[in-house]
Amino acid sequence: MMEQKFKCPNCGQIVSFYGNPGENKVVSCPACNSTGRITIPTDRKNNNYAIEVSHLKKVYGDLIAVNDISFSVKNGEIFAFLGPNGAGKTTTVEMIESIRIPTNGSIKLLGKDVKTQFNDIKEKIGILPQEFHSFERLTVRETLVYFSNLFKKKADVEEIIQSLDLTSHKNILYKNLSGGLKQRVGVAISLVNDPDIIFLDEPTTGLDPKARREVWGVIAGLRKKRKTVFLTTHYMEEAEFLADHIAVIFKGKIIAEGTLEDLIRNYGKSSVMHIKKCKNAADVIEMLKQEGYDEVFSEGNGDIAIKIDYKERVLEILSHLRHDCIEYESLDIRRSNLEEVFLRLTGSKLTEDTQ
Amino acid sequence: MNLKIILMDFIFSIKAWYRSKGGMFWSLAFPVILILLFGAIFSGIGSSKYTLYVQDQDQTELSKVFNATLNATKLFNINVVDADVNVTSFIKEKNIKSLIVIPKGFEQTIQESFTNPSARVDIQFYFDPSEQTTTQVIRSVITSILQEMNKNLSQSRTIIGVREISTITENFNFIDFFLPGMIGFTIMQGAIYGSIERNTKYRKDGILRKLLTTPITRTEWILAKMLFMMFLAALTTILITIIGILVFGMTVHIDAWVIIVIIATSFLFSGMGMLIGRFVKEEETADTAAGAISFPMMFLAGTFFPLEQMPQFLQTIAHVLPLYYVNEALRNSMIYMNQNESLINGAVVIIFAAVFFISGVLLTKWKED
Repeated sequence: MMEQKFKCPNCGQIVSFYGNPGENKVVSCPACNSTGRITIPTDRKNNNYAIEVSHLKKVYGDLIAVNDISFSVKNGEIFAFLGPNGAGKTTTVEMIESIRIPTNGSIKLLGKDVKTQFNDIKEKIGILPQEFHSFERLTVRETLVYFSNLFKKKADVEEIIQSLDLTSHKNILYKNLSGGLKQRVGVAISLVNDPDIIFLDEPTTGLDPKARREVWGVIAGLRKKRKTVFLTTHYMEEAEFLADHIAVIFKGKIIAEGTLEDLIRNYGKSSVMHIKKCKNAADVIEMLKQEGYDEVFSEGNGDIAIKIDYKERVLEILSHLRHDCIEYESLDIRRSNLEEVFLRLTGSKLTEDTQ
Repeated sequence: MNLKIILMDFIFSIKAWYRSKGGMFWSLAFPVILILLFGAIFSGIGSSKYTLYVQDQDQTELSKVFNATLNATKLFNINVVDADVNVTSFIKEKNIKSLIVIPKGFEQTIQESFTNPSARVDIQFYFDPSEQTTTQVIRSVITSILQEMNKNLSQSRTIIGVREISTITENFNFIDFFLPGMIGFTIMQGAIYGSIERNTKYRKDGILRKLLTTPITRTEWILAKMLFMMFLAALTTILITIIGILVFGMTVHIDAWVIIVIIATSFLFSGMGMLIGRFVKEEETADTAAGAISFPMMFLAGTFFPLEQMPQFLQTIAHVLPLYYVNEALRNSMIYMNQNESLINGAVVIIFAAVFFISGVLLTKWKED
């Protein structure tokens, strides 16, 4: 834990507290007694940033879709923007890509301001929009040649086809490809100008597990090419598998940021015991809370998650269950993952409708 | 502006279109089938009321009786032409399809016929040969009225006859009327639906968002697509014209003005498609909206049926429909060789094109809110 300092937005008092980079903490100001949450910025200084976002905000009428977020993405890293549907991921990435106009805030790509210098940036970025479908009646190769011809800077189309394992499909019409291949072509299109930054907006949504793994392989390959990848996703395992750095967005705000290890260390320090299909789950949660277990969560369908601070706790819980003759189907203990981090941060599962 | 990008997009559009069975059918096979079918089926079309212009140069009791008898048939909307008007110029200027002249001396000749067996007067019937059915109906009505009058005046002789004068020198039939209409209609369909595809499907598929982040500008993209629309329009015109000439033995004139009208038509309906796509964002709904606009226009704007055969209120509606002016401009230029009419209608098409295309370009955008 390191000492952190921040200026109270209410009274201007400098407040000190302890926490790790990326951690989201409740902090009270001793001078004015106001309380608020703060995400401790990660120590990412002294790096060349590919993307710098500062105080970005997007408002639609009464709805604040993106609420004053700031973050930066290092050159050459895979940055995952993780959050449930409707959290503000696509609105954010589309503001960075200059498709939407921000209500407030500034965005820099490769040091250039998106608002005023986007035409200079176009040659250096590659984009796969959300739910992208290309021209149906062009073949894979023709599609890549088409998009390649729009740029001055061109990558070798044949090389892209080969590196994304599309050789046997290159003469097939886009409309006849499977979902996974279409997404792979989408990624290939984003590479035709040999970009420095690649934006992939939910590249695996709607794909079956096999196709998803294929696309992950392609994205992981971009790391080897030292490309900066900005990936939005609502799949935990995708962020866990691919990302060097993860920002968790919820209801338009970044609620945590860091490497996978940072996030687990800060929000999922301990292991979690899962009790599956427990009878009277609500009563059991209540009972465990009365016994002093503060972090007990319902996971729905009678499933319960209990944070285990130290191993003796396991025996204690088992003895409570036995003592009260609690019936359940199964029980296991797992190390924390992003799902639990998200659950702890928001009180809901990422896969649920958290809007 | 990067001409290379425009040309590249144009070539890829042709490739994609060539591979689309639906696209090929609607832009090439459909108009050909319609031309062949309608050309073969329609030799005439029935109607309940016909517009007829009458000039009474005689202004006597008997000429008024003839007029009243025409009126009593209740088959005509009769418009009176002043006696001192030059009918030949009147017909040309107003594009009149049917006109009857009761000549001066009508009553006097009839009176003379009681003493002079060779006395005879002819009513002049100016008709448009392309309006076969209308002409047929008016001819038979006049003939039966005159038969009755001749029978009353003299049992055996024809005292009042008819002299038919064609308003145009060439002989036209339904296919002459139909062919330019079909060209206008096909260009309209291609432009509206093509434009809607680009503005709704491409938006839904993320293609517009993708293009926004590449160096191609919206102007270059629109120009490339208009180039493709004009290519399709040219192909349609050439194909339909060839069918008209080879299958139906038509005489079709294509000059610079026809090409200008066709280009303006492509811009007009592309603009209309852009506006539909701007306000109706769902692809399926936009298709329905396009159908709701283009299909009534097809029937009301004189594509398949001459306006004269429609009720008066529908004729009034037709005059606010852009396709009506496209049809009239092409018909007068390609078939009737009536350049004045073609220029007026073509000018209206160009004005419509400017209004729709400019509003379409200004109101549609690639950026999201």
